[in-house]
Amino acid sequence: MSKSNDLTRRRFVKSLAGAGVATLGRPGRSTAAEKMVLGTWGGDYSKLLTQNVETPILGPKGIEVVHDIANDSPRKAKVIAEQRLPRGTTDLQALSAAGSREMFNAGVLETIDYTKISNAPNLLAPMKTPYSVGHIYSGQVILYNPAMISPAPTSYNDLWDPKHTGKVGIIDIQYVGMLEAAALVSGGNMENFEPGKAKLMELRKLNFKMYPTNETMAQALKTGEVGMCVMWKARGVMWQNAGVPVQAVAPKEGVVLYVSDFVIPKNAPNKTAAYAYLDAMLAPSAQIGFAETMGYNPTVSNAKVPDAVAKRIGFTKEEQARLLAPNYDYIAKNDSQLKEWWDKIFKA
Amino acid sequence: MQPRRSVAGALLGPATLAVVLGLVVPLAILFRYSLNRFVPGRLMVEALTFENYVKFFTDPYYVAVLVRTLRVSGVCMVLCLVMGFPLAYALARTRSRWKSGLVMLVVLPLFVGNAVRAAGWMVMFGSRGVLNTLLGVVGLIDRPLQLMYTEAAVIVGITAVNLPFMVLTLESVIEGIDPAIEEAAASLGARPLQVFRRVILPLAMPGVLAGTILVFILGMNAYATPILLGGPRFQMMGPLVYGQFAGLNNWPFGAALSFVLMAATLTLSAASNLLIQRRYRR
Repeated sequence: MSKSNDLTRRRFVKSLAGAGVATLGRPGRSTAAEKMVLGTWGGDYSKLLTQNVETPILGPKGIEVVHDIANDSPRKAKVIAEQRLPRGTTDLQALSAAGSREMFNAGVLETIDYTKISNAPNLLAPMKTPYSVGHIYSGQVILYNPAMISPAPTSYNDLWDPKHTGKVGIIDIQYVGMLEAAALVSGGNMENFEPGKAKLMELRKLNFKMYPTNETMAQALKTGEVGMCVMWKARGVMWQNAGVPVQAVAPKEGVVLYVSDFVIPKNAPNKTAAYAYLDAMLAPSAQIGFAETMGYNPTVSNAKVPDAVAKRIGFTKEEQARLLAPNYDYIAKNDSQLKEWWDKIFKA
Repeated sequence: MQPRRSVAGALLGPATLAVVLGLVVPLAILFRYSLNRFVPGRLMVEALTFENYVKFFTDPYYVAVLVRTLRVSGVCMVLCLVMGFPLAYALARTRSRWKSGLVMLVVLPLFVGNAVRAAGWMVMFGSRGVLNTLLGVVGLIDRPLQLMYTEAAVIVGITAVNLPFMVLTLESVIEGIDPAIEEAAASLGARPLQVFRRVILPLAMPGVLAGTILVFILGMNAYATPILLGGPRFQMMGPLVYGQFAGLNNWPFGAALSFVLMAATLTLSAASNLLIQRRYRR
């Protein structure tokens, strides 16, 4: 993996600037009736893939998609465990960018042939790697309830403000995001979360509340149990739609990107259908569907999201200048020890 | 006799094969995995090392999780026994025509999954839940009590899940005890407590043993209840095993944890069985 293929802030911002480029794609290919298996998360994501990609675009082409639903860790394990088999059991996998990088490092992913994806010319450059195609993206922000947190936070440091004692919520499964936030205000960076550990330990004194999942955090924000947390902006939009009284702030230290990728395992039995899927998911109609319902930004330049939606889900030019690309190699290498620290020391 | 034996052997064959294929083989594979080494991003690397077991027993965090699991399971077991025995006795001795309906009421919670029942407790224990609201209304508290995400909540949840198993096990054994024996003891001057201690309990001991072991094993392996009622900062062995496999993809350590959990459960169950059998053989 050459470094030039990595997602960098500069390249990302450049790509967003070029988002108005005209469609260069060629007409979609027609494929024979066939079945394919997609490994994906369940819930809204799976439902919206069916609603926006499979039913309207792949169905008429005769491609039937079966979802292999699980969290990304078991699906990653499955792909690795199957690597010696001539034929795997999935044709395509939806993973976080960190997960797809980890799979790439494990040597189990197909190199993407972008000539087989007619919508690829519209793909924003940072969403394109030799092994993955970015599907949707958002950024990590501070979500806060204006009725409880005033004035509005501007920095991750505001989480450590003693006047917010007892009002900060943390989501257990978002440990990487919290470590990133803490690292950014304590001398760390995207390649070194270690200083963030001591900073997080300071947060313990401020009586934070911890919730097991994103959904339980939403509930706590809704009932006023807590007033502030670190989350992806897209999730904040979904929560706003569900009546959770939160606003989003892009912290001054930087907005860490979250990208949801699609990858093809090397031993995928039906790579033709997998490419057809990649093409379909990049279609403007599919991308706009995800933006409007799930709050994620399109990864193609020709998906024109309504202004009102774009304002809620996107980032201003100033915020775009603060976009930070995670170092996926660092995360893949350190995830295990970071989680162990989180469980054993921070949560203890 | 010979043909009968071979028929019996043939009848046992399918079940034995199912156990070997469905339990022994996966356990053997899991044990082999527990001797492998974890390398991030590679799932596991072939090795022959006990380092995963050493890691568990030398790290106070993991030992504390095991101790907590034993404590919670033990407390739930005692609570199930204490609350379940009178109920089982009443059910066994009742001559009411509603008896089958009463037994169904005990069985009814088993029709609902653990996660659903835990969700019910969440509604009860939440900071704005039923219990806190009631306590607030009657003026006993001025701010919500922290009931969710506590060990007490987990104990209540697991006890509620396991209680029917204890009641049903005890009820079937108590029903087998002839009431005339109790009446004889009473007619000889034994007080009710003496009848219970000297007559009923020793005779019901097989049921007590079976019930406590069953409930203890279920408690040791509890998953949904500790996750939902214990919250992220409360760790028991079941969720810990799952987290290693599904969260971190650390199969070798997850496999080692599974064997530690299984060994601890089996050892304690066998030891209690032996102790109680010896105590009541005298």
